[in-house]
Amino acid sequence: MNFQIADFTRLIPEFLLLAIAAMVLLGDVLTRWSKGKEALNDRTEEAISMTLMGLGLAFVMVLIQGGFFSWMQFGDWKFYDFSIFQNLRSSGLDGSILGGAFVVDPLTHIGRLVFIGAAFVTVILTSKAKPSNNPAEFYALILFATLGMIFMTAGGELIMIYLGIELTSIPLYVLAGYFRRNPVSTEAGAKYYIFGALSSAILLFGMSLLLGLTLMNGQTMTTTPTSLRSVATAVELAFANPEGPSQGVAILALLFILAGMAYKVAIVPFHAWSPDVYQGAPTSMTAFISTASKTAGFFLLYRVLVTGFGAPSILGTAAIGTSTSFGGWTSLIAILAALTMLVGNLAALPQTNAKRMLAYSSIAQAGFLMLGLVGTQRDSGISLLMYLIAYTVTNLSAFGILALVEDAVGGTDFSNLNGLGRRAPGLALLLTVAILSLAGIPPLSGFFVKFYVFIAAWQEGAKWLVIFAVSNTVISLYYYLRFLKAVYFAPAETDEPIKVGFGPGIVMTAITLLIFGLGIVPTWLYGVLEQATIRIAAQ
Amino acid sequence: MVGSVPLVWVLTLAAGLFCIGLFGALSRRNIVGMLMGIELMLNSVNINLVAFWRYLQPTGTAGLVFAIFTIAVAAAEVAVGLAMVIAIYRARLTINADEIDTLKG
Repeated sequence: MNFQIADFTRLIPEFLLLAIAAMVLLGDVLTRWSKGKEALNDRTEEAISMTLMGLGLAFVMVLIQGGFFSWMQFGDWKFYDFSIFQNLRSSGLDGSILGGAFVVDPLTHIGRLVFIGAAFVTVILTSKAKPSNNPAEFYALILFATLGMIFMTAGGELIMIYLGIELTSIPLYVLAGYFRRNPVSTEAGAKYYIFGALSSAILLFGMSLLLGLTLMNGQTMTTTPTSLRSVATAVELAFANPEGPSQGVAILALLFILAGMAYKVAIVPFHAWSPDVYQGAPTSMTAFISTASKTAGFFLLYRVLVTGFGAPSILGTAAIGTSTSFGGWTSLIAILAALTMLVGNLAALPQTNAKRMLAYSSIAQAGFLMLGLVGTQRDSGISLLMYLIAYTVTNLSAFGILALVEDAVGGTDFSNLNGLGRRAPGLALLLTVAILSLAGIPPLSGFFVKFYVFIAAWQEGAKWLVIFAVSNTVISLYYYLRFLKAVYFAPAETDEPIKVGFGPGIVMTAITLLIFGLGIVPTWLYGVLEQATIRIAAQ
Repeated sequence: MVGSVPLVWVLTLAAGLFCIGLFGALSRRNIVGMLMGIELMLNSVNINLVAFWRYLQPTGTAGLVFAIFTIAVAAAEVAVGLAMVIAIYRARLTINADEIDTLKG
């Protein structure tokens, strides 16, 4: 149970993020000796560069620790053949950190890379729409939220999962409502807060029921009663004895936990907050909330459902009309997926604000993502993780370009995008790639991952759901193509070119290359993701 | 002491408190009122946790530790929430949820 010295090396990325956040805050306090516009600019620059350096360092550290460099070979010279790299790598994986509360497995490594990368891009995007005063707080909060997302992904125990969710949510509430003088931003923050706090309470009630269930088992003296493994045994026992009262408690707990998490990842019918928050929050923050936070929620959902509720007796099936019954949580997920897709797509059709439309599109994407959760076979897990990575990259690109356009034009309505093809051909091209990838056009990543989740869900027997999802893809084409109409065909009020900074331009180009890369050579992630799913299934 | 009050009664109390809190959070139009409802829900969770600890495993610590974490995090969460209420009041001079409706559609 205790913290051991060996645990330290496994937590290096987290310690790094924490230390950098503290340094960003402290550095700002130490340089707060002069007033005026110039001093504020200096402080902002300082906070941004320190945050970027910290995130980059943590990213490289995760790459080394996860062994992602090990396949890099240049002739006879292997990249990782330094003893310090080997030491870091061998002390990176496994281990029972804090008595199993923090699980370091390939999924955790993938999560770290995704969140740290998303935070990096977000910080670069904020470089123009600068925070009003006390810039260090803004960047430290981003770092804290990143840390929380890693804890969400790595949580192998209920208390740690709850702490991770809160450590993610509380900074994000503040970031969404960061521009205090702007009534829209404060409104977004307040709505995010109310819904988030409510969902935390619901989730927590489910967790308390689960704790009761594991304690009732009595065999928990040796293991931590709140760990997901004890939860799994307790839930399985409860379902093995349908006469007793504990089966009802288990179902209730599962429903409460699903509802609480559905809020976090904006699944219908718990999606009402997300369009308002996405539209009202600063656009760079919207990019962060809609990608990293949602991905963290899905990683958590995946781990909790497969590890905690993965016993075959509670799985059920998403197939209709087979010999096995249509029941268990997989069929609930399938129905919610269908609803989420439909509502997200239909609500996106009449929108006039690009940010709000992308918010509804994110809801629809969550519906497609859930196709990877209707079963626990290996293909489902891999396709879910691959979709999550592609979704993060693509949505980050779409919202990021919107943020750059908003900085230059001053709004995110479709009319603000008019004539972008002439005013900024480069940005328009990048936006086109991102939008086409969201719509699922080959050879972009969005096409391949959609294809893959469809195959996985089909193998699980949810054929009706796959057919429904394919028809939904066609609906979604309509509103995605409205972007292209505004960008290339609508007449612009002015032909004045839009200037984009060097940093954001480079980063957006790199992300777009990643969208292409994931679509053309999707197999390069396969091995890592397969490892992650195997390890989750074995827990 | 444990024998005189069955566990089910305590759980019923917690469930009732949770429902009252949920109703309050959903029906109140005042943001501070919503926060109070959410606090009731969190406290019902604490009752659950402590009751499970006391009745099912009084020698362990899991329920107690969980309850302490819940209390601490809830305090942090409410601090942020009240700050947000103040910010929204300064921007709009109201904290009625029905009047905070710039974003819709």
